[in-house]
Amino acid sequence: MACGGGTGSSSGSSKGTIAIGVDLPESGAAASSGLPTLNGVKFAVQKAGSSIDGWTLTIENRDDAVGGSYNADKGVQNVTDLINTKTVVAMVGPFNSAVGKAEIPIANPAGLTMISPSNTNPCLTKDLSTCSYHPQDLRKGKPNNYFRVVATDDLQGPAMADYAYKTLGIKKIGILDEKTVFGVGIADAFQAQFKTNGGEFKRDSFDPKTTTDWRSILNGFKSFGATAIYVGGTDDQQACKPRAQMAALGIGSWPYLGGDGIETSQCIDDAADSAGGVSATTAGADAGQIEAAKSVITDFKKAFTGANDYGAYTMSAFDATNIIIKAIKKALDAGKDPTKLNDFREAVRANVAATSGFQGVLGTTTFDKNGDTSAKIISVYGVKKVDDARVKAGDLTCGKSGGPNANLCFDFIKQFNFGA
Amino acid sequence: MAGDLGTALFTALGVLGVLWVAYLTVTQGVPAMLATLVIGVTDGSIYALIALGYTMVYGIIELINFAHGDIFTLGGFIALPLLALFGINSGTRYAPVLIPILLVVMIAVMAINGFVNVAIERIAYRPLRNAPRLAPLITAIGMSFIIQGTMYLWRGPVNLRFPNLLPDSVDSRFTNSLIDIGIKDVAVVASTVCLVILLSLFINRTKLGKAMRATAQDRDAAQLMGIDINRTIAATFFIGAALAGAGGVIYALYFNSIRFDLGFSAGLVAFTAAVLGGIGNIEGAALGGLLIGIIRALNERYVSASWSDVVIFAILILVLVFRPTGLLGMRVPEK
Repeated sequence: MACGGGTGSSSGSSKGTIAIGVDLPESGAAASSGLPTLNGVKFAVQKAGSSIDGWTLTIENRDDAVGGSYNADKGVQNVTDLINTKTVVAMVGPFNSAVGKAEIPIANPAGLTMISPSNTNPCLTKDLSTCSYHPQDLRKGKPNNYFRVVATDDLQGPAMADYAYKTLGIKKIGILDEKTVFGVGIADAFQAQFKTNGGEFKRDSFDPKTTTDWRSILNGFKSFGATAIYVGGTDDQQACKPRAQMAALGIGSWPYLGGDGIETSQCIDDAADSAGGVSATTAGADAGQIEAAKSVITDFKKAFTGANDYGAYTMSAFDATNIIIKAIKKALDAGKDPTKLNDFREAVRANVAATSGFQGVLGTTTFDKNGDTSAKIISVYGVKKVDDARVKAGDLTCGKSGGPNANLCFDFIKQFNFGA
Repeated sequence: MAGDLGTALFTALGVLGVLWVAYLTVTQGVPAMLATLVIGVTDGSIYALIALGYTMVYGIIELINFAHGDIFTLGGFIALPLLALFGINSGTRYAPVLIPILLVVMIAVMAINGFVNVAIERIAYRPLRNAPRLAPLITAIGMSFIIQGTMYLWRGPVNLRFPNLLPDSVDSRFTNSLIDIGIKDVAVVASTVCLVILLSLFINRTKLGKAMRATAQDRDAAQLMGIDINRTIAATFFIGAALAGAGGVIYALYFNSIRFDLGFSAGLVAFTAAVLGGIGNIEGAALGGLLIGIIRALNERYVSASWSDVVIFAILILVLVFRPTGLLGMRVPEK
């Protein structure tokens, strides 16, 4: 049976096949990002009974990882391939913003709908002054085909500013960045909101290539009267190294705040003995915290029983797939014919763009004209000591296993909804 | 002419600098200034250890050995598996029993690093000794990338956590209302001072040291006097790399972290220190390292870290343009 040559017509009654394309990084080190996300797509298709109105529903899966990490060129190849696959009417993906930037200009002229479960770079949809590229250039005047179900990075800074000022009660703060577009951008956004809240700040930038000692900068913050640090940057640009040097200055107990660039294992290791007290935002909801999501996650874990089958973006992919399934159904109901591929893709695209008040696991999604979701949820995570069982469960970002910080993990603290 | 102008310029800069420090001490308080100077001197000691190797090699064969910064990083990289042999991993803490182990590892790293650098000299620089000066400079840059790339392949791109083997608890610190200084800070400066004194004694009091000075002054004449030039130059590379290796271990012990590409920028800063002190001049390199460390700390404490690289490399340019012999004078072969 399994080896049979049937191509979906074995059920006899099927009118044909409709496929949802998938492009995610699924091999090597990147598999831990892509595969749990792919499972969200699979779960949604399973829940739909693998069929829509008599049409067989399948997945056309492509891997954009090369040598263990995402690759934009491979992504472009995959999208081209999906466009040329006659059954594919829309796709879920990509996982990484840099891949999205390369894929949108390819998928857009073909009218292929893309819904990313995880792209957080605001420049893909918003024309901001901090962007090095612009959404209109990626789309070249055609109707928008790109959507996402997660919030964007530009909301991370403001969310942390509110958390610092209102929740932690910090009135004076030292703000650092590492001179990259991302780091300066997120630090600027934090600074603006912190100032609006009524807080005071001292700002400094360091060069991640030549700086090895941050103590003089930190001492400067200390005499300014700061009681916390916000760092705009990523762990690979040394954004967490200053943290390790704070204890010797007697300020190791200050909160050390940042964006998702520091919500990493490497950051916990770089912060060494002072990893506790590091907090970071991520653009997206923590599905584990949403009441409505719990039963879906329980069902998911019954169907997918592997230790690493569930990931941070599984439920976003589940929601994205359901939006596409709903759009396909609406197109079929309107009498559109999937064999007339271009017409049908356009109908699906228009239906996705018109998505309004969609009740997903992560909240209610309405797409704006840019393709951004109305569910603008930012989560705050803080490093805490957790027991071995939670480390093993694999839901948390922890220090490197076997290392001295293996039991220190980013645990959920709070979430902000900017869409409300 | 340029010399007089340079002397005047750097005297003026020095006076302004001292006045600025005095002003900051009065307005911002003595403790803040002392804390900054402690940071500057500790960082400066590490720059000095790297700068020594630059300056020795330049002094003897007039090569700016751009691979030297990576030799510094290599020291820290070699130390990690050696420490692991003694069961010391990234979570190990200071204990008095570790001090002799640390000394053994330090000496082993210095030796291994020395032999690596001698091999580099034999393969990449010696065949080019009589080639136009640009050729060995380019091989040196190539060597830098090769060492860096090898370390990358060996341990990957991440920050490696280095065990915290020096005491850093609260009672290891000497604290009063004016100053707060840890045993860790003292250890770094003390080991640098010891190494510089040993080097200075070696160069001025031993036969090989004399041979090095003679070779630096006039290679051909030294050879005619029966000095084995190749052996002397190899010894210079060995000692330079041993010091850089010690610097790498001291750096890693102090900051508890090391990364494959650390040496490139640390090397450039140390090169600036060597030029500031007077390239080819041992005492100058030590002084230059300390000055750069202190200037950097002052800038980051009282101005802004955004300016650090601008300030440091502006110093490099000012020295090269207005006082190419550096503060203490260059030791160049007289021809």
